[in-house]
Amino acid sequence: MSDSESRQHQLEDWQASVEAARLEKSPQSVMEMIPYAGFLGAQVKVDDNQLLYWLEERPTNIGNPSLPAIHGGVIGGFLELSAAVEVLYSLDIASVPKVVDFSLDYLRAGRYKTIYARCNVLRQGKKLINVTASAWQENENTPIATARCHFLI
Amino acid sequence: MAFDMTMALFRPALKYAMEKNGHGKALGHRMTRIERGEICLEFPYKEEVVGNPLTGVVHGGVIVSLLDIACGSAAMTVLSTPAVAPTMDLRLDYMHPAKPHKPIYVEAKVYRKTSNVIFCRGLAWQDDKDNPIAHCVANFMKLDAKSTRFGAIAITKLRRMVPWSSSNKTARRLNE
Repeated sequence: MSDSESRQHQLEDWQASVEAARLEKSPQSVMEMIPYAGFLGAQVKVDDNQLLYWLEERPTNIGNPSLPAIHGGVIGGFLELSAAVEVLYSLDIASVPKVVDFSLDYLRAGRYKTIYARCNVLRQGKKLINVTASAWQENENTPIATARCHFLI
Repeated sequence: MAFDMTMALFRPALKYAMEKNGHGKALGHRMTRIERGEICLEFPYKEEVVGNPLTGVVHGGVIVSLLDIACGSAAMTVLSTPAVAPTMDLRLDYMHPAKPHKPIYVEAKVYRKTSNVIFCRGLAWQDDKDNPIAHCVANFMKLDAKSTRFGAIAITKLRRMVPWSSSNKTARRLNE
């Protein structure tokens, strides 16, 4: 089997798994297909017709051990991952979307406890998708970080 | 250039704080260069942080982490008393996807420091620095050295690393 053929097979398998996850309404299976999600410990569930992402505290996500605070890169990575899962799960796209740019504003320090996040697809064009994501800990109205992300289809 | 005593002391502490703690340890990167306002990192390829299992390319979140570490560390080095500088914002542009099974190199530089804000630029590349994977700009807040306990952590860690050091007194004073 040629290289491009096997790649085609892999892509078809991927699409089939994403499709199955949508049918079962299980965004967590999409999340589990990405190894980086396991590295961070990110999880997702359907809540109130929206996807709710969360990241439980674990020692490998600490940035500043004296507070302790969650690593800024972990918050960024988690929001980017959430945006990617949001795009994969809720939009009907065959390929794996590519990130073009990612912009992150830190509003508060991430304390060492669970971080929640929600994403919002603001626009889906033929080529570009604009997604915003916001992360919070105690209260959704006091976010710790917000992000904006562009994906190329 | 004259010998920079602060940097000579700060270098191992920063390296330790960034490579041996929490997320930095989990990522497994190495700091290859620590100068005033300039940091270089090297990240070996890892299967655990793959973002696209079809191609084996690392997730963009890893590049966010690496650039945040590099820019944040670069921001710390320009302060007269090394202290934690929290990130205000970070913007990242992906020029092209990373290639799997290859290390990623990161370089961060401080290009402007004002009384309250430190402006940094960062670059991530693999084979060719002129053809980078990603470019980022990040801004950091300058905090009062007293409001962070970074010195205390650094000294405690250093003391553990260097058993013959007699900095116990300094560490205790900073911890109080």
